[in-house]
Amino acid sequence: MKNSDRIVRSRVFYFTLFIFSVAVIGLLLVVLQDLVLPILMGILAAYISLPVINYLWRKGIPKSLAILILLGAFSIIIFVIGQKVVSVIPNEKENLELRIQLQYKLDQNFLSFLGKKDYASEGNIFDDLFGDELYQMFQGLSSYLAFNEIEVAEFQSYIDSSQVSSRILFFYNENLKHPILPILKNDDSKAYNNELLPSISDGKSDSKIALFLSAISTWIIMPFIFIFVLIDEGEIKSFFLNIVPNRYFEMAFTTFANVDKAIGNYLRGTLMQSSLVGLTIFLGLLLIGFKIQAAILIGIIAGISNAIPFLGPVIGLGTGILYAMIVEGIDPVLPFLPDNPIFGVLLVVLIAQFLDNAIFQPLVLGKAVNLHPLVVVIGVTGGSIIAGFWGVLLAIPTIVIFKVVISTVYRQAKAYYIIY
Amino acid sequence: MEDLVKTKTLWKDFSKEILTSKSQTLVDILKKIPLLSELSRRELKIISKFAYERTFEVNEFVFETNQPGAAMFIIKEGEVKIVKQNENNEFIEIALLEAGDIFGELALLDSSPRSAGALVSKPTKTIAIFREDLNNLLKTHPEIGGKIMMHLAIITGKRLKATTNHVMQMEKEINNLKDLLNEKQ
Repeated sequence: MKNSDRIVRSRVFYFTLFIFSVAVIGLLLVVLQDLVLPILMGILAAYISLPVINYLWRKGIPKSLAILILLGAFSIIIFVIGQKVVSVIPNEKENLELRIQLQYKLDQNFLSFLGKKDYASEGNIFDDLFGDELYQMFQGLSSYLAFNEIEVAEFQSYIDSSQVSSRILFFYNENLKHPILPILKNDDSKAYNNELLPSISDGKSDSKIALFLSAISTWIIMPFIFIFVLIDEGEIKSFFLNIVPNRYFEMAFTTFANVDKAIGNYLRGTLMQSSLVGLTIFLGLLLIGFKIQAAILIGIIAGISNAIPFLGPVIGLGTGILYAMIVEGIDPVLPFLPDNPIFGVLLVVLIAQFLDNAIFQPLVLGKAVNLHPLVVVIGVTGGSIIAGFWGVLLAIPTIVIFKVVISTVYRQAKAYYIIY
Repeated sequence: MEDLVKTKTLWKDFSKEILTSKSQTLVDILKKIPLLSELSRRELKIISKFAYERTFEVNEFVFETNQPGAAMFIIKEGEVKIVKQNENNEFIEIALLEAGDIFGELALLDSSPRSAGALVSKPTKTIAIFREDLNNLLKTHPEIGGKIMMHLAIITGKRLKATTNHVMQMEKEINNLKDLLNEKQ
């Protein structure tokens, strides 16, 4: 009798504790949502670097020194690449110029595709067949590039202070010949009510610094998470295993180990594969004559997006072609490479994809977590709705982790006769 | 003043005990196990990092027959019965193990199902060491892992010899009985 009382009491206790913990963790997740991403990325980085630390440790380097070496290496890589990338990220004025240039080039390419000299003249067979439909699609695309009233005023101020080169001015005037209305964004409509252009340059730099500081203050947690996850010698695992009841102890450990192995292989494999694809595209773009900064940036984008099955290569290709459209004076390093940069990008991405499928993927065995294409598409779209850019990037790893955890727990629970 | 000194030394001893006692006793316990007896204290300290302590109540199973084996258990204190179920679903005791004994050590080799169950007959504390951790140890500290594996092989070999002797003994007895039966007929 006494025993059953104790069972009831402990059930009530554990249930209350569980509900309380879930409520507290849920509340913290909502309140501290800005910290979730830095913490996740810290854990991810530590997890991926674990084999490197173990390798250095086996070679006789103390663990703390190995972590410091790795942290230093990461910082240098991020600093060097960051500097290169930041130098190609346009400021407000360059951004406007880039859009003018892109719109002009798009126009030219669109017209030449339809075999027209200008919008009034007769075109080729494509123009006869789908001219109107294509024009509508093209207008939709161009409307993302078109200026709104504020931007027009802003650009006019640059022209008035003669900061704009004659080439850009020519593009701008050409574009004005067939104006396209901009897409109205939500913040634009608010901006219309605000005072127009309160000293553009000063205001922008202030907000950039503020943005930078707020990003630093949350992301500063990442290196700490990274260090403490790496320093940990099984204490975290021990803690979780200690709260598991005896009956599930062996099963819990095995599940933990299997999930750890599968996810570790997947993440490290994906990282390796993405790096190789990014590197291939970077080298390829260099060979077809892209500037080194642009090649690095496109290589990084293509590499990162390559982690998304099916959609990744398209994103990489799109970025490359977008750049190829506005770039001028491309000069391939090797004489037999194509002069047309768009064709060049297409070739580079195709070669990278071929190498990825033929060599990189078979080398990286851990990526054997198969997802149905439908799951990928729905997952990535859902991710973008939930968390924007990060959602797109982290959707597939999250789905893979869930899949591995659930299937492993199911298998182990069956093996230990816990479920039927 | 004297009281203060006393309190201080008391606290010092107390904190010292808390800081050192756990790994000390764990290393001491591990040192007494034949499987790990050849390891130095430094090596045992490394092993103690992945030695998990569990407390079991009377009539609780540490593991049951046919479950996949993942860990070897060392009895820190208490008593464990190795049992097998007969056709009538009754548990037959095969062996009775006490503090310092190990069981389930074949799980360190592979995950084949447990050949018998381990039932706790007195409140028991065990230390579990998992195959997965031992495999990692073989990669990070091959010399320690190698010693354990070597000893495991020796223990398994001794048991095989003992079983072979046992089988031979039984065969002999069966033959004797057969002879006796033939003589009587």
